Amino acid sequence: MQQPSSRLIHLLLAKSILEALLITAVAVAFYFATTNPYVRGWLDRVDGQSVSGWVVDESNASARVEVQLFIDGMFVGDKPAADFRPDVHAANRADDDWHGFVFNTPSLQAGEHEACAYAVHAARGGRRQTLQLIGKPLRFRVPAGTNDR
Amino acid sequence: MMHDQDIGFQRSLSVPALASWEILSVVTSVLIAEWIAAATVGINKLVIAIPVTLAFVFMILSHREHRESLKDLGFRLDNFVAAMLMLLPPMVVSTLVFLVVGGLSGSGIHPLRWSISRPLVVQLSLGALWGLTQQYVLQAFINRRTMLVVGRGWVSILIVAAIFAGLHLPNVWLAVITFAGGVIWATVYQRTPNLFALAVSHSLMTWVVISTAPPSALHHLRIGFSYFG
Repeated sequence: MQQPSSRLIHLLLAKSILEALLITAVAVAFYFATTNPYVRGWLDRVDGQSVSGWVVDESNASARVEVQLFIDGMFVGDKPAADFRPDVHAANRADDDWHGFVFNTPSLQAGEHEACAYAVHAARGGRRQTLQLIGKPLRFRVPAGTNDR
Repeated sequence: MMHDQDIGFQRSLSVPALASWEILSVVTSVLIAEWIAAATVGINKLVIAIPVTLAFVFMILSHREHRESLKDLGFRLDNFVAAMLMLLPPMVVSTLVFLVVGGLSGSGIHPLRWSISRPLVVQLSLGALWGLTQQYVLQAFINRRTMLVVGRGWVSILIVAAIFAGLHLPNVWLAVITFAGGVIWATVYQRTPNLFALAVSHSLMTWVVISTAPPSALHHLRIGFSYFG
């Protein structure tokens, strides 16, 4: 049987390297197309009454970031993070006092629930929108008898 | 002039090992196009062309290295009729099976379902061109290299069919159908290598499947990342 040529081995190695570079480039491009690495925020408090937190786009600290709230995976509502949060400003995380958000907790069954707040990231002139989790999901309990609001 | 390290390379890699690497390399390119590059379609469609181009450039250079002629690969007409005659019985049986499936499934038989906007003859011709491309990769490259690894026969035929089916995942029904098609086409190619006959068969069988199988099962023939879109 004929021995394989070293040129074929070099071709295979070159092709593998080019494909590894392509995958890396795609991964990096995909990350920047779907993620804003400058978004900072936190989901502070969740209970049966309200959900609150703050979020800042450090690349444009004067802008208000749009926030979407989901409870148990269900969309609850969205609003710009423009509520009064002087503590965020005092901690040098923002240029002004208006980067907080507060949602009223909707009527829920008694028991354990999970709230997730997301910053809306618009790319490619707003044609592509992705959600970035703010802080961590927070679990909370609605006691029995409080779901009649 | 050959260097010492090149000689060492050759001694450490046998022909079957190198052929396996070649198969893996081309399959990887297709998977990159189907799964990774397809995920970026919203960003830039040209990304898909990069792994596909790399694969084709590599396959052409590989044929040169293996000293394979176009006739060796199956780009020939002298055995076209013989290959079609071999393909005919399984095509007739498959068509009958799919007609029964179409009749029993309730989805009906719709010969013009493949394309609403194009005449059937044009669609079949385009299907034959696409079939020729797929059969070239599957038979003239993967099948030939698989034969270098495990030899001619059922083992190589099943490996080729399994690769063909795997490249159609996660569309399970399409993977099942392409596995069956892969067995038939790989068998015929090993006995009578003619890519034009396989391309005609590929196009006709695609038409039969689309016209008879329930559209919900075929999921618009979507594969890879696009399956979820």
